[in-house]
Amino acid sequence: MPMGHRPRAADSRRHPFAVFVLLALALTFFPDRARAHCFVGGRFLPATLNTDDPCVADEMSLPTVSRFKTGDDPSAKETDLSFEFSKRITENFGISVGDTWSRVSPPGMPSVHGWQNLETAFQYQVLKDAGHEFALLAGLVVEWGGTGSQSLGTDRFSTLTPTVYFGKGFGDLPDAAGWLRAFAVTGEVGYSFPTVRSTATVDPMSGDVSFQNNPNFLVYSGSLQFSLPYLKSNVVDLGLPDFVNRLIPIVEAQFQTPVANNFGTGIGTTGTVNPGVIWVGDYFQIGVEAIIPINRASGTGIGAMAQLHIYLDDIFPTTVGRPLLGANAAPSKPFGN
Amino acid sequence: MRTLIANFALLVTLLATPARAHALLDHAEPRVGSTVAAAPREISMTFTQQLEPAFSGAQVFDASGARVDQGRAQIAGSVMRIAVKALPPGTYRVRWKVLSVDTHTTEGSFTFRVGP
Repeated sequence: MPMGHRPRAADSRRHPFAVFVLLALALTFFPDRARAHCFVGGRFLPATLNTDDPCVADEMSLPTVSRFKTGDDPSAKETDLSFEFSKRITENFGISVGDTWSRVSPPGMPSVHGWQNLETAFQYQVLKDAGHEFALLAGLVVEWGGTGSQSLGTDRFSTLTPTVYFGKGFGDLPDAAGWLRAFAVTGEVGYSFPTVRSTATVDPMSGDVSFQNNPNFLVYSGSLQFSLPYLKSNVVDLGLPDFVNRLIPIVEAQFQTPVANNFGTGIGTTGTVNPGVIWVGDYFQIGVEAIIPINRASGTGIGAMAQLHIYLDDIFPTTVGRPLLGANAAPSKPFGN
Repeated sequence: MRTLIANFALLVTLLATPARAHALLDHAEPRVGSTVAAAPREISMTFTQQLEPAFSGAQVFDASGARVDQGRAQIAGSVMRIAVKALPPGTYRVRWKVLSVDTHTTEGSFTFRVGP
């Protein structure tokens, strides 16, 4: 899932029609040349469910559905419905907006549900090296405090996470490497810090005030993927059925570790490992992954998540699927022919 | 939620334009990564989308890096063909770069071998 976490704007929830119409009109009057989602040379890096791909793009995750047991004691069952919209403003600069609707069911207690805090990401494409199938992206993820539901206990303070994203395909290995050339890795590393260092809480019975630190976290995740589309087009065509040739088996892992301002919080490293598979179509992709917590604080049992991800640049090549401002580089003659 | 879905459907209708995806290599002859006994006279590549001939092309190289194609590729619809010189036994690399008709650029390369 892009941005790494959640998705959507309070204003757009109140006036979705007006926002969409304005967006449509704006896009109509900015002629431009549509281009790609995450292609780097001959490599396509799909949108992965936990680790953002290392490209700015015009795309939408609608929705990402996940169900798992939380790390609380006792564990609660949580179901999340996430939405995210990513848009290039220029060829190399893009923004993402997203939010998550959650339903949490603690054992023996009534369920609570509502929206998580709104998240936005501002991302800049630093590098795309086609020859080495390498992409580098820098971004700032902002979780806007106070925009989520109080019943879920969402933070009232905002959190900023400067993040670096990368992707590397191994197609530049020697031909002797064979099938290894179909592998790729992606990853992201961010430093998350709250805008408020501590939060005061008042005991309703005694009236005592206590303070809890809001830690800074190192957030990091990655994916190892084996691209059957790449294998077929660039390494060896095994004559497999088209459905199989569109699969990308993948293992993702995501972690967060408190690194500062965490005295007395009792919070340690949490994370999940997510094996799964992505099917890549012409206009959308579908991903399914298991959610395996790495420790008790990360959850219990095995959860699952699924995502429908839509390539807006392919569906709307002359409208939503192109940057709002500026022009893509004009196409060049291949090989100088 | 129902209103949101209805508005989204309306947006899709308003913005609907002929959708065309990136042109990816569907199959090639000789097949990607294959070994053929008889040297081919041309390389044929079929893509998943129609190509823009002015901005699409291919080159073929032998193991020493020398070009062995006969010049410009011929493109018709989604098929690109490029003639090659007489190929002695060995490994050859085909590099292609194409622009689909809706201006998405893609590229790739593959090898095939001529020999027993």
